[in-house]
Amino acid sequence: MFLNIENLHAQVEDKTILKGINLRVNPGEVHAIMGPNGSGKSTLSSVLAGREDYEVNAGEIRFLDHDLLEMDADERAQQGVFLAFQYPVEIPGVSNKLFMHTALNAKRAAEGLPALDMFDFEQLALEKMKRLEMSPIMLERSVNVGFSGGEKKRNDIFQMAMLEPKLCIMDETDSGLDIDALRIVANGVNALRSNERSFIVVTHYQRLLDHIKPDFVHVLYDGKIIKSGGFELAQELEERGYDHLIQAYEKV
Amino acid sequence: MTTLSKPMKKFSPLAQAAMDYYQSQAKQLMQAEGEGHAVTAFRQAALNRFLEQGFPTRKDEDWQFTPLSNFLKTHYAFNGVSRIDEAAIAAVKPKVDGWHLVFVDGYFSEILSDDLAGMPSGVSLESGKDALDFEQGFRVFADHETDIEQDAFGMLNAMLFDDGLFIELAAHVRLAKPIVVSYVQTLASHANTTRCKIKLGRGAQLQLIEQYVAIDAGCGFENSVCEIDLAEQAKMSQVIWQNLPEQGMFFNNQFIDLAEQAQFNTHYIGLGSAISRHQNHVQMAGERIESEQNSICFARNQQIMDTRTYTGHSVEWGASRQLHKLVLADQAIGVFNGMIKVDQKAQKTDGMMDNKNLLLSNKAQMNAKPQLEIYADDVKCSHGSASGQISADQIFYLQARGLTKQQARQLVTLAFLMEPLESVADHAVRDWLQQALSAAVTPYLN
Ligand SMILES: Nc1ncnc2c1ncn2[C@@H]1O[C@H](COP(=O)(O)OP(=O)(O)O)[C@@H](O)[C@H]1O
Ligand SMILES: [Mg+2]
Repeated sequence: MFLNIENLHAQVEDKTILKGINLRVNPGEVHAIMGPNGSGKSTLSSVLAGREDYEVNAGEIRFLDHDLLEMDADERAQQGVFLAFQYPVEIPGVSNKLFMHTALNAKRAAEGLPALDMFDFEQLALEKMKRLEMSPIMLERSVNVGFSGGEKKRNDIFQMAMLEPKLCIMDETDSGLDIDALRIVANGVNALRSNERSFIVVTHYQRLLDHIKPDFVHVLYDGKIIKSGGFELAQELEERGYDHLIQAYEKV
Repeated sequence: MTTLSKPMKKFSPLAQAAMDYYQSQAKQLMQAEGEGHAVTAFRQAALNRFLEQGFPTRKDEDWQFTPLSNFLKTHYAFNGVSRIDEAAIAAVKPKVDGWHLVFVDGYFSEILSDDLAGMPSGVSLESGKDALDFEQGFRVFADHETDIEQDAFGMLNAMLFDDGLFIELAAHVRLAKPIVVSYVQTLASHANTTRCKIKLGRGAQLQLIEQYVAIDAGCGFENSVCEIDLAEQAKMSQVIWQNLPEQGMFFNNQFIDLAEQAQFNTHYIGLGSAISRHQNHVQMAGERIESEQNSICFARNQQIMDTRTYTGHSVEWGASRQLHKLVLADQAIGVFNGMIKVDQKAQKTDGMMDNKNLLLSNKAQMNAKPQLEIYADDVKCSHGSASGQISADQIFYLQARGLTKQQARQLVTLAFLMEPLESVADHAVRDWLQQALSAAVTPYLN
């Protein structure tokens, strides 16, 4: 079993947001999650990554051999869960270099690997940045500070490329990207695809999916997956929107 | 019977006992110096003022958040024999290439200081003790006496200073390496009272690093006053590193006069002492002066850290920059008080004062008072102060990349504290400060 989400319920403060999510992801699969604003997509992503503000009051998440809900966010990251944020966070005064060097070595320590020294780290980082068409200067700059929206998203994908996670969750990585940036991000993602690595791609738009070709598409609405299908479901949503699905769901 | 024009101030028994004690110490010093010495009248005048005004209390607006009762409880000694552990002193010197000078328990130590024979000509260096041997020698340290003696610590300093440092650079003299002064305490409950004077001639340049630290049982009362005088186009950068033990007492008061086109940059880093109070008074009395004042304070447990600046713009086209950052943990108290005053003639002034504070505990307390007083109409001035907690979004972001919560908090807190170091121009000095700050603070971050 790679990832199995069963009957997941989550709330923030007094508001129930996720109302029984069931999702099974096998190694190498790409799942797209679509749905109108406010349906709970970012909440699902955050709960998977281990954000503490959300209280899980029912359900279970198994990831590899782990009970994911028992683990802190940093342990999950070290075990290969990665969330590319809808809104990457600015951290003034902390350089991308120091941040990623620390993060990469934390993960290597968890895997029993020796730490990378600054020289080897830089070499690796510059290689990955080149593929994402990022300027080497970005390594010296404070994490996301003064970055454009597109640069922030690209920086998250860079981090993903560095950490080589097993499960990549991307929360609206495509929103706010122009066509070129979208292509670069999609190429970065495609370069990471493998039989062992799985993706959950949250998006509103088909355009990223055209590049990434998901195996499954799910529609999230009001905290539940109301429909699942193949890539053709994304095309249907692009033409017809969510309304007909929502109406059909609410009639039942 | 005499009638007094003013009723005598009433002092608490604690304050009165301390006043009696410091009076007796001043009298001993005056006796030793001899009645005929010119400095005696100077000390006596300060003593008279001190006996009249006493120590400030929480009723004094400038001392509202800085209670002195813990200071008054101990009567700090003015004599004592320092045990000089050369290796230990060498180990605490800043890891910076420079001309190193060492003071032990308030007195200049020639043996522990570098041989200054290789210094370029045009540099005069003299200990305060040597200067005091001259009949009128003390006067070189007393240009701002009225301002210095505005508070009890200034008066105490006048009554009791017995050593210090005089540095003068002739016009256009530039020192390639910094002068690094270590004030090392080795005795418990000892008073170290020093005065410094730094004078730069036209176009001269100096980098000065001062550190206040302790070894062995060292844990005392540091009371220093410093006058800094920059002629036209002179340039000085200063770093003050204060990391005395947690029970230490630190009072430092600087008076900085800047002439046309002078550039002055100072960084104060406060980490130690039970009570610490660092003050700058900057007078920008010439066109196109640039001044920069920064501070970094990290306070924990019951520490009280008080940072104050006064910046006076009296002539056109002055630029002043300030960034003051405090991190407060546990029940620590932070105080920032800053004033930018712009005279009517000081058009085109560009003044900026920023104070940012990070509270790591909800029992910590920050008192900030940034102030502007502007009498000119064509100026650009701003001031601000903000206090907050570590952002949960930042911590989650870092954790989501595999950093533990503790690593994440350390990284964010250190980054917050380090920001003012970006304007330390000398890379070697900045590297030393970054490493030293990280090493000093990290153990207390969890
Ligand atoms: N921290 C929070 N506090 C209160 N309400 C929240 C919080 N996070 C999300 N919500 C609410 O939960 C719902 C789902 O939000 P979200 O998961 O961000 O949806 P999506 O990503 O699908 O747009 C929304 O109604 C949102 O307002
Ligand atoms: Mg969202």
